[in-house]
Amino acid sequence: MADLQKLYDAILNGNNKAAREITQQALAEGADPQLLVNNTMIPAMNEVGKRYEANEYFVPELLIAARAMKASLELIRPLLAEKGAQPVGRVVIGTVQGDLHDIGKNLVAAMLEGAGFEVVDLGVDVPPEKFINAVQEKNATIVALSALLTTTMHSMKGVIEKLNATGLHGKVKVMIGGAPVTQKYADEIGADGYSNNANAAVALARRMMAA
Amino acid sequence: MTPRERWLALFARERPDRIPTDYWATDEVTARLLRDLRCADIEALYCHLHIDGIIPVEPPRTVEHHPDDPLADIWGLRKNPINYGTGVYEEFANHPLESMTEVEELDRYKWPSADDHDYEAFRRMLMQVPGHRLVRSCIFEPFLIYCAMRGLEQAMMDLVADPDFVMTVLNYIFEYHYKLAERTFEIGKGRVEVTYVAEDLGGQTAPLMSLPLIRKFFLPNQKKMADLAKSFGIHVFYHTDGAVREIIPDLINVTGIELLNPIQWRCPGMERQGLVKDFGDKIIFHGAMDNQQTLPFGTVEDVKNEVLENIQIFRGARWVCAPCHNLQPVTSTQKIVAMYETIHNNGSL
Repeated sequence: MADLQKLYDAILNGNNKAAREITQQALAEGADPQLLVNNTMIPAMNEVGKRYEANEYFVPELLIAARAMKASLELIRPLLAEKGAQPVGRVVIGTVQGDLHDIGKNLVAAMLEGAGFEVVDLGVDVPPEKFINAVQEKNATIVALSALLTTTMHSMKGVIEKLNATGLHGKVKVMIGGAPVTQKYADEIGADGYSNNANAAVALARRMMAA
Repeated sequence: MTPRERWLALFARERPDRIPTDYWATDEVTARLLRDLRCADIEALYCHLHIDGIIPVEPPRTVEHHPDDPLADIWGLRKNPINYGTGVYEEFANHPLESMTEVEELDRYKWPSADDHDYEAFRRMLMQVPGHRLVRSCIFEPFLIYCAMRGLEQAMMDLVADPDFVMTVLNYIFEYHYKLAERTFEIGKGRVEVTYVAEDLGGQTAPLMSLPLIRKFFLPNQKKMADLAKSFGIHVFYHTDGAVREIIPDLINVTGIELLNPIQWRCPGMERQGLVKDFGDKIIFHGAMDNQQTLPFGTVEDVKNEVLENIQIFRGARWVCAPCHNLQPVTSTQKIVAMYETIHNNGSL
């Protein structure tokens, strides 16, 4: 029998090879993919997030944990799709137009995936229209906008204006983040939430889904 | 006092006539200031705004490109200009070490050589620098280069997943910079007064990596560079963005920094009063004019108030008034002028 504590540890310690092998074994033995996600992977990524908040983990540890989680999720995702399993929520994420910085956005995306969200990552330098189209196509519940530069963060406002103009803002919540971004700025531009780190972004997304 | 004398007094723990100032800005901002303030060149701008600006002088390269890639720089990095509407910045277009996994591959890579610089030209350039300006030579920021060569996320993961690989690359980068600095400092002795040692160790809310990793990968080579500079009487200016409170004792006691830039005081742990209390007798604070909120999005009054607040907070410590990193086009000329006028009118010591 696959030892799921070892899968938990592999994700926590960022061992992607072990995470993949144990997942493979568990699935071969007939483990329920949804239970693997819910009972092992999400708890492991929750612990990663807790350690990050407590300054026990930093960016390198977060990244290798996310890599291990993804190695496992790659095997599980097709099986979940076959079963028609629904994610916790669907997030469209991207770095706004003019900005190519993506490590913060990628950390948020990884932590959201680790929490059971389906994440549609539009990448960097994303124009407002692309966010709108993705929200419509993917029937997203949350759109997450990232910016590192004081010179590009104003693009967030443009995305929200477009969401308002198309009437989508009632259906999708907007969360924003990035080095120069603040709660005050979120309030000013009409974003529904702000978080200052990847773990807090997960908590925010969960609150948005519950609201 | 001349700007140079002002800086040197600060490094010597003597009292300058007023709080020194420094200038960091994007090319777009400098071009706009020159135009708006009708200044012919950067020296005229410094005089106009009473900025104690530092003059960078480096031995020019005699080799501009990597031997295997005529479109790349000496490290093998290509860059793309990225337009963000009001200006342009450069992003790396490739990561030459991205696919490597073995140390042996690194040993076969063609690394730059300190021989590929024109040191006689450097000697002549030094003679042309106006005597009232402080001169800076050499920047040592190896992990920045590592991240560019490897890709940022891979670089971060390497720190925990592949330490031998990281150490090998960092040592190649160090070797080039150390040899370059040895020759540069020898020629610049008595005229070059400051060198930059840097590494971006802080995020917005916490260090990017743990203190044990910083101690393992970065501090030993930083110390060697700082010791080399000091052996030539050259002062060590240290740059790291972000929330780095818990790293500062090591930067002081291990690396041996004399000045810390940019003091992003809105980040947790970087509160100015606490830094003055804990480190005010050990290092010069450089920056502290917030460039994420106050300068870009505050009013002219907010900028003036922050200068006045900083004067109060850093009273009794040593402070150089400067923006936290490069002024961006989003900050108006009026606010920039207000910052330098306020410190000039109120910064007498």
